[in-house]
Amino acid sequence: MSQVLRAKWLPLLVATVVAGIVLGIETKSFGASFNVYVILQTAAFDAVVGLAQMVVLAVGDMSLAVGGIGGLVTIAIGNAVDVHHWPVAAAVVAGLVLGTLCGVVNGVIIARTQLSGFIVTLATGSAFTGIAYGVTSAIPYSSVPSSIVSLSQGRASFFPYLLLVAFGATALVGAALRWLPDGRTVLAVGGNRDAATLSGLSRTRALVVAHGSSGLLAGVAAVMYMGVLQSATPATGTDWLIISFAVPIIGGTALTGGEASSVGGLIAAVVLATINDALIVLNVNTNAVEMAEGLLILAAVLAGQVGRLASLQGRGRGAGRSRQGRRSASDTAARGSGLEPVAQ
Amino acid sequence: MKSTTRELPTTREPGGGPPGRDGPGVASVRRGIVGWLVSGQSSVVGLVLLTVVTWTIFGTVGSGFLTSFNLYSIGQLAARDAVLGMAQAILVVMARMNLAVGSVGAICVSLLGYMLVDAHIALPLAILVIVVAGVLASLLMGVVELKTGLSSFIVTLAFLSAYGGGALLLTRNANYEITSSVLGRLGSGTLVSAAVCPLVAVAVVCGVVVWLVYNKTAIGWKMLAVGANERAARASGVNTPRVLLAGYALSGLLCAVAALMEASYELNVNASLGTNWLLPSFIAVVLGGVALAGGDITVAGILLAALFYDSLQSGLTILNVPSYWLDLAEGLVLLAAVVADQMRRRRQSRVRHERRQRLTVAGGSASPA
Repeated sequence: MSQVLRAKWLPLLVATVVAGIVLGIETKSFGASFNVYVILQTAAFDAVVGLAQMVVLAVGDMSLAVGGIGGLVTIAIGNAVDVHHWPVAAAVVAGLVLGTLCGVVNGVIIARTQLSGFIVTLATGSAFTGIAYGVTSAIPYSSVPSSIVSLSQGRASFFPYLLLVAFGATALVGAALRWLPDGRTVLAVGGNRDAATLSGLSRTRALVVAHGSSGLLAGVAAVMYMGVLQSATPATGTDWLIISFAVPIIGGTALTGGEASSVGGLIAAVVLATINDALIVLNVNTNAVEMAEGLLILAAVLAGQVGRLASLQGRGRGAGRSRQGRRSASDTAARGSGLEPVAQ
Repeated sequence: MKSTTRELPTTREPGGGPPGRDGPGVASVRRGIVGWLVSGQSSVVGLVLLTVVTWTIFGTVGSGFLTSFNLYSIGQLAARDAVLGMAQAILVVMARMNLAVGSVGAICVSLLGYMLVDAHIALPLAILVIVVAGVLASLLMGVVELKTGLSSFIVTLAFLSAYGGGALLLTRNANYEITSSVLGRLGSGTLVSAAVCPLVAVAVVCGVVVWLVYNKTAIGWKMLAVGANERAARASGVNTPRVLLAGYALSGLLCAVAALMEASYELNVNASLGTNWLLPSFIAVVLGGVALAGGDITVAGILLAALFYDSLQSGLTILNVPSYWLDLAEGLVLLAAVVADQMRRRRQSRVRHERRQRLTVAGGSASPA
């Protein structure tokens, strides 16, 4: 319980819930069950895109190719079903394998060249997008299989089935990082590359695993997106970059590697989707959403930074007062993100 | 030809070579053909060769590549890409990066459109305002980086969406039809011959200014020092915050110039300009031979890289490669450039290492005798 109280995303979540309740009372449309469904559907998709970035951040790297892989997988599935009449399941599996392979290619290049993931994935991401555009000549496949659509659009009252996919992916990533040897290797290499290498862990393997699973998750996100949009367009993924970073960062995953908070990512996705929807319900221009995302990233990272500083100071004052140190950390974090400190 | 490479000894040698301790870096390696090939000069010579080869191939295979019309449009695009590359390089030199080049450009072009079309402000004043706006927008990112201690990646990522969204929001996605004839002549007139766009001169002037900053001014040398080893620079009395802010300001200024250049030949602009600036800006930097780890710059390399890159794009278009495949070409060029650059740097540090070892051995055997 105390762990939950100290989580970096808690103040944001509380603020969002409060704002959501206020909006629900003030406006009729916001609280409608269909609107909640739309919010959660967007959140589910955002969460998976965020996971695709989170696994790479965990190894201390970053991927600008999440969107590019998403676009390529979308086109591959669309092409297999539309042109070659593959069974849907086979096409989806092939698409996910392709996504994983793209990620593995990134991982191998980064490990081999010792270059930063930033520049390598900037290049490969553009190449993947280029292939998607080249294959389709920028014309989308409009006949998305009905099974994918019914999964993506399906709901029980306000609960979209896609949220189950997001829950599943979040749980799997969290569990893999915690318990699987490869997951622990990823975190170890991300935490301290030299120490991990000296203890016999393979940085190459960690990079390939992280980027490979990132590609797989980008593929899953692509399938979700395709169903929501009911169209397999090569433009898929061009606007995923900010979301992919916003979700893990707001969720409390450090950019420096070595840690990942998959649950935090899920909650950040809900927060982002709610803000997005609230701005639309309040008739604010959709471009404000983009702006808000940028400022939110900054606020979240700042809050994390301030929180870490405060907790370091708290630790410095001696073990006996560490609890107070922790509390002041989350208080400062709350203030840093522009929110009132939450009663604990 | 501005082909001087300035490089400070950096402790972050890619490829695991020992940290350079021998003063002016590669100068000592520049003897002998191997030393010359692996030095910074080779990126310039290599780019000249690459461009000549590209022109020869496309000139013989594709029809119309070497016409003055086509060379004109290559120059037009390459000029903007070169300025973008320099805007990026200035932060890369300080071991930072600027993801928001396009969004700063979007702010500048929105302001330009608003002032010229809606507010009927005179062109010189409008240009002055957008240059100031570009500098201020970029400075703000520098201030945030300094005040928060966050990495430039995350700060400029946040401002990428904040500025981009803000520009679209404030202009309400408006399209501005710029009618200024002066601007039109800058972007679509001719200079000296029918094959040269006046924008090429703008890019060359920017290049000369940037070259002067790094080669003739103290602040430029300090930027290189901060990029090579920030802690060492601070320890030797460099006012790092001021140097960083100067770099951000210069980068913003060049973003404003690039926005002005694109507006001058597009003439119909809106706030979504700049959304695809990121990749060309890094291609010019990496292909031009600027180390991503910071600490060195090759202005001539950036200019030539932009020329080569846009020649390649134009050549592919002339060979009737559908424009949809050009993204792939862009990605592959960048990938090839980073990998080749990495290999070159590794070989460079190996040569330097071997040379030093040879010197040590020679010195060691000489002293007992």
